[in-house]
Amino acid sequence: MAIELKQQKKGVIQLAIQGELTIYSVLEHKQALSPYLSSAKDIQIDLADVTEIDSAGLQLLMFLKQEAVSRGITFSLSQHSEAVVEVLELLNLSKHFGDPIVISADWKSS
Amino acid sequence: MSELDAALTVFAQEAEELLTDMEDALLSLETKPDDSETINSLFRAMHTIKGSSGLFGFSAVVGFTHEAESVLDKVRNGERSIDAELISVLLDSKDHTAKLIEHCLTQQEAPIPASLAAESERLIRQLTGRQTTDLQQSDDSVQLEIEGGGEISVDDNWLISLEFQKDAFRNGMDPLSFIRYLRTLGEIKQILTMAPELPAGDDMDPENCYLHFKIAFQSDANKQTIEAVFDFASDDCDIKILPPNSKFEEYVNLLNAQDDNHVKRLGDMLVQVGALTQNDVDHALQSQQAIVESENQGPSKPLGEILVERHVVQQPLVDQALKKQEQTKQKLASEANYIRVDATKLGHLINLVGELVISSAAMNLIVERHGLSDAGDVAASMNALVSSIRDTALELRMVQIGETFSRFKRVVRDVSKELNKDIELYISGGETELDKTVVEKINDPLTHLIRNALDHGIESPAQRLAVGKPAQGTVQLNAYHESGHIVIQIADDGAGLNSEKILDKALANGLVKPDHDLSQQDIHNLIFAAGLSTKDQATNLSGRGVGMDVVKKNIEALRGSVEIDSIEGEGTTISIRLPLTLAIIDGFMVGTGQDRYIIPLSMVDECIEMNANECEIDEIQHYINLRGQVLPYLRLGDYFHNQIADTHRKRESVVVVKSGQTKAGFVVDELHGEHQTVIKPLGKVFERLNGITGATVLGDGNVALILDVQGLIQAAIKNKSRPAPFLTSQRIQ
Amino acid sequence: MAKTIMIVDDSASIRQVVGIALKGAGYDVIEACDGRDALNKLTGQKINLIITDVNMPNMDGITFVTEAKKLPAYKFTPMMMLTTEAADDKKQAGKAAGAKAWLTKPFQAPTLLDAVSKLVLP
Repeated sequence: MAIELKQQKKGVIQLAIQGELTIYSVLEHKQALSPYLSSAKDIQIDLADVTEIDSAGLQLLMFLKQEAVSRGITFSLSQHSEAVVEVLELLNLSKHFGDPIVISADWKSS
Repeated sequence: MSELDAALTVFAQEAEELLTDMEDALLSLETKPDDSETINSLFRAMHTIKGSSGLFGFSAVVGFTHEAESVLDKVRNGERSIDAELISVLLDSKDHTAKLIEHCLTQQEAPIPASLAAESERLIRQLTGRQTTDLQQSDDSVQLEIEGGGEISVDDNWLISLEFQKDAFRNGMDPLSFIRYLRTLGEIKQILTMAPELPAGDDMDPENCYLHFKIAFQSDANKQTIEAVFDFASDDCDIKILPPNSKFEEYVNLLNAQDDNHVKRLGDMLVQVGALTQNDVDHALQSQQAIVESENQGPSKPLGEILVERHVVQQPLVDQALKKQEQTKQKLASEANYIRVDATKLGHLINLVGELVISSAAMNLIVERHGLSDAGDVAASMNALVSSIRDTALELRMVQIGETFSRFKRVVRDVSKELNKDIELYISGGETELDKTVVEKINDPLTHLIRNALDHGIESPAQRLAVGKPAQGTVQLNAYHESGHIVIQIADDGAGLNSEKILDKALANGLVKPDHDLSQQDIHNLIFAAGLSTKDQATNLSGRGVGMDVVKKNIEALRGSVEIDSIEGEGTTISIRLPLTLAIIDGFMVGTGQDRYIIPLSMVDECIEMNANECEIDEIQHYINLRGQVLPYLRLGDYFHNQIADTHRKRESVVVVKSGQTKAGFVVDELHGEHQTVIKPLGKVFERLNGITGATVLGDGNVALILDVQGLIQAAIKNKSRPAPFLTSQRIQ
Repeated sequence: MAKTIMIVDDSASIRQVVGIALKGAGYDVIEACDGRDALNKLTGQKINLIITDVNMPNMDGITFVTEAKKLPAYKFTPMMMLTTEAADDKKQAGKAAGAKAWLTKPFQAPTLLDAVSKLVLP
């Protein structure tokens, strides 16, 4: 499983997605993440180890955000990996997710 | 059924009716955008639905219709103008309202699904205007407002809208790839990523693609190039590319520079200047077709409107193209106008062309006589030019016979009423052309023949039914070209000619003697003789016995002929053959002694040398045996000079001529070949001359006589078998 | 990480030319000489794009695309058809099988790279 549950306490869920977040894995990811949407009050997803993300993966993040908002769950992304940032910047979605993005100095500029 | 259920049923029906009316009203607004009553009815529809929905507690419907109502209220008060964009949004709103109502009626307890709620929001944004999708421009400085406050100017940027369909991912299409590639062609100034139809919860299939993008793109690339970026996604994505306003001027210039020699379709014009791609046009045409099919009534939406709605081109550009199209149409229309020319001027021109033809022949003669080989080429090319000038000049006077034919519709209608007959006129070959002077002269004979057919030909409905024919009789007018002639046929399906009656009448009038042995055809031809009418009671229309002879004379005066073909009980067909023109003909020149004669080329069947194996002359029986076929003949020299030809030492030739079905041979000394013949009318003095219809001036200044082939054939027939006139040719078995 | 492209063509020269062009642009390349060979080489490794000829011995391109689409690891992989002529029926058959991209032969290296980079940038 490419999702690691880092912490779960008092409805605050901290998750980390690892490896690919692409069309090949989105179904699996959605199935793994959906249960938290009905239990958690606060979901934080660490994207540091996402090596690759495509449109399907991005769409899944948008979906999670929409679900969270409609259920009144706090939702945040953190530790965006280079691949994630590239896509968010390309699609002008950083503001949509509204999470602070830390750009590492050793990323190649893209 | 509870009272509440009953009330809900009424509500459902009412809402459905209102929404249907609303759709009709919206569609009619497309053609009449200022109709205040229609706008009122739109407002009332939303207002009423809002009111009754409130009664049942359908808050989602109330919320949505309230917005639509407010917008329509503004339209009603003139605070907001209604345009194609708004109509389209209102149509969507109407559909959406229906969906909301359906949801409320079927799942009263369930909350509104996220997709419906999202659609409500989207439409409300569109209705109230100034939102993300409001790319439509109302003035020159349209701004695209973006989530987060960024603005996109359409002035300098291409606006690209990508609506991916759900199978895109499955087909290996990653929108990101295309967007990344797009950056190699220019700069993405702004991009808006949306998933407006992203379902909630379990309905969302993460392998489906719900993504839409709107991109403001700065690039010097043309529309085709930009569109090609998304080629591979074209099956999985609705792609709309709106050119920047800065391109507007360029497109307008290109539009104006387009040649205006023919009217082009709007789509083609815009594709040519690069404002649209063929794909844009094809898609728009498809949706136009879809609208036509789904509405199955009302005018289809103009293509320009659909294109603008699809955001692939700006309204002003469409307007410009339409203007250009209209200008082209007008220009062409004014050019296509006929020029009225004084007929005498045209006649003068044709006379001059006639003189030109003669001079040209004279020049050829001289060139030939002096053996000027250098001049030969020039003369030949001038000859060709003169020929085509001749044809063109004659064409100027050519008119279609259709108009003349059409006039008889009224004649047939009036006459059949008067006679209490039911007769239908069928016209064919109306596009056949002939010289205007001929048309004018054929009108009277035609009228006479048609009246004859109506009066004598077609029986009364009772008589027709009695013999097993349909009560309605038919008269057919047909025209076609045949070897330099026009053939006009008047055919009826009436009683046909009664040979016995004709013969009795002819005998009584002394036209024929009882011992004459007449063929069926001969008897039929008797109706063209003066003083014969078979109708027992003459009506005031025809049948006083004056007429058919006049008809025949008139037609012959036009160098034409008339034939009758009738089967008793089945009908009569009268065929008139006329030369296409009265001015210049292609002739065949022959000579006897010093004299030259012209035979209209179209009447020449073949030329053959006498005393060959295949052609023998029998001086005693007075016929020519042409390969077993017996032909009457005429020795032209003998005929015109009345001299008994006793010096036939020279080689003679036979020109076989035909008129209709009748053939004869003219025996001549020399064959001179084809000759462009300008017909000069004969003076009054020669009018009565038998066998001659005109004269022409030859290149060497001599005069050649134009033969009346029809008359000469008759003369030949008489010559052959004096005891029995009116005999046509026969075959020896 | 370099993107991987598989080229399937029975013509060794085409494989070579395409291979050189793609490698030069920074892609990793896997070659296969027909549909069957290609299926055998689809062993689960990541492939970002498959380019395949249509007319090949053993297994033609359209059958190959259909089969490859059934493999879980490649069912979403973009496929590009190389159509010899502008044969529209072949193109449509390819599209129906799942190869939404196409390239008309003969092509030159820049055209190939252009088409490829619409789907996968190196």
